[in-house]
Amino acid sequence: MFRTSDIVLIGVMVAAAAMTYSIKRDAGEQLAAVRKLQTQIRTEEETIDLLKADWSLLTQPARLQRLVERYQEQLGLEQVNPYQFARIDSLPQRPLSIEDITAADAAGRLIDQTQTGAVE
Amino acid sequence: MIGRINPFRRIRQSGDDSSIVMDSARKSTGGRTRNRVIMTMAVFFGIYATIGGRLVYLGFQDPVPSGAPASRVTASRPDIIDRNGEVLATDIKTSSLFAEPRHIVDADEAIEKLATVLPNLDYEQTYNKLKSGAGFVWLQRQLTPRQQSEIMQLGIPGIGFRTETRRFYPAGATTAYIVGLTNIDNQGISGLEKYIDGQGLADLQQSGLALPKDLAPVRLSVDLRVQHIVHDEISSAMERFRAIAAGAVVLNAKTGEVVAMASVPDFDPNNPVNAQDKDRLNRMSAGLYEMGSTVKSFTTAMALDSGKANLNSTFDATRPITIGRQTIRDFHGKGRVLTLPEVFIYSSNIGSAREADIVGIEGHREFLHRLGILERMKTELPEVARPVEPKVWKKVHSITASFGHGFTTTPLQTAVGAAALMNGGHLMNPTFLARTVEEAMADATRVVSEKTSADMRYLYNLNATAPGGSGRRATVPGYRVGGKTGTAEKVVNGRYVSGKRFNAFLAAFPMDDPQYIVLSVIDEPQALPGQGATAGFNAAPIVSNIIRRSAALLGVEPEFGQEKAATLASY
Repeated sequence: MFRTSDIVLIGVMVAAAAMTYSIKRDAGEQLAAVRKLQTQIRTEEETIDLLKADWSLLTQPARLQRLVERYQEQLGLEQVNPYQFARIDSLPQRPLSIEDITAADAAGRLIDQTQTGAVE
Repeated sequence: MIGRINPFRRIRQSGDDSSIVMDSARKSTGGRTRNRVIMTMAVFFGIYATIGGRLVYLGFQDPVPSGAPASRVTASRPDIIDRNGEVLATDIKTSSLFAEPRHIVDADEAIEKLATVLPNLDYEQTYNKLKSGAGFVWLQRQLTPRQQSEIMQLGIPGIGFRTETRRFYPAGATTAYIVGLTNIDNQGISGLEKYIDGQGLADLQQSGLALPKDLAPVRLSVDLRVQHIVHDEISSAMERFRAIAAGAVVLNAKTGEVVAMASVPDFDPNNPVNAQDKDRLNRMSAGLYEMGSTVKSFTTAMALDSGKANLNSTFDATRPITIGRQTIRDFHGKGRVLTLPEVFIYSSNIGSAREADIVGIEGHREFLHRLGILERMKTELPEVARPVEPKVWKKVHSITASFGHGFTTTPLQTAVGAAALMNGGHLMNPTFLARTVEEAMADATRVVSEKTSADMRYLYNLNATAPGGSGRRATVPGYRVGGKTGTAEKVVNGRYVSGKRFNAFLAAFPMDDPQYIVLSVIDEPQALPGQGATAGFNAAPIVSNIIRRSAALLGVEPEFGQEKAATLASY
């Protein structure tokens, strides 16, 4: 009663159905995973926002000042003095010790280029 | 029944006798089939009619309320950050706990479990709520995220969470007047929150397009560190001098950016219970005051800019000026002819009146308008007061205006006018949003000449360094502060009262190229023992403290001139 072609076609149909089912199932699983990830991302973003707010609350100058006042004596904190600000080029040159000069001479970097001829 | 349905067939049948049997058989089977079809149709029609009828019935029914109310759509707002990216206002999600008593299996157990996370849960009240049989009850609003996850772990049936967006201001009262407030629907109602709504955010929210991700943070010109210093200094000054109010502003003289501005008394924006009180007013932009002697800066600049006076001009201040019933006297009277710089540093009312005199009444009025002192200030902040001036200017108005009486203006625009005098003569609108020098210069208008500005810088510096100068108490070693004091007597019931003062100090630093304008005001300060109550004793030290603490943060390098050599040698 069944011809070969019928059997082949039924086979193809069953295979197609099975494939469709598996694809659909996979897609469903993927979608669920995506949704889960999206929820996670949203939670993370909200947490980040909250932590940012926490951070700015904890680093408020007003709070830091309160802490400084409380631990001032313990930590020996003092107010910054305008005299303490300077650029690097306004600092005086470090006085050279005799070791600096000999070390520089040994390395071939003469600190003083003056040559007299009498002394090498 | 069949005959009635199909009469034609019967007629045809009677005419064809040869196929009676066949016909009868066909008739009998055909009739049964038709019968069945009709019955099936009737059954299906009945089923669908029932379903349709039920649908119509349900459509007319009011649904039984159940579950939580729809989550309130709270519109998202952009974050507000300071110039260094510190958060000044942000949206945070808080969750609130609700219960559906109908779905609660065991109320006692549920409460016992909840009490482990929420120790201050009212047992009796909660029990009554859960037993009420209502569809929905709130149990606790605004939980912390930790509490929320702990409650979720308990796994109690019949409870749930609703997230709500809440505006949070980490800086609290420090930036209260600048950032402003939002209402319960997250709409801006004051300060820059209101300004942001006016910039199209409100429309976005209405159309539902204000998604949190798409909203770029609004970057202000305010520096939170300096803002804190200003707030801290005025708060302590108000307490120390038992004043009714105090305020200060730090303005970038080159860009017109407001780097810090505070006014006390203020309120906590996270709990604004007292924000509507009468004395909660941003005095720097919405308070109108007679600014007193600080206005002499403008009078002097006007005389210099008119070309009718220079730094060597002299003004006769030997005798008080009497006009009508008023007599203009000097507070620190010298009783002699004063040069223009002397008029400024001794803060001579008579001298200032003479300076205004050489410009004329109309010229005087025009100059104050040109500097924006008498115009309504254009800035982002909605709370801006309109200055009040006499309707018709007469001689007496010009004279009193020359030393800052007879018209009122806001402290902020006084600072803006001073910035124009210091930065080479460019008047720019103050802004609370970050701005570059180029952008500022594009909108700036020239109000006084370069020469006048240089002379004014000289006078400001002189007032802080010369012996007898009124600004000596504002100096900070290394930062070259120059400024002008202003002590105005307040009007009570139409008369000037000598015991009530409104003091101000208008300063700029560093004087060789002023970067910042600092203006402090203090309302009705009381004298400390052994001191006066004039601006030099209270308003000037506020400025000095602000500059000492904030100059490094503002990027101003200290310079010690002569002292510098000593530092070098003393390695």
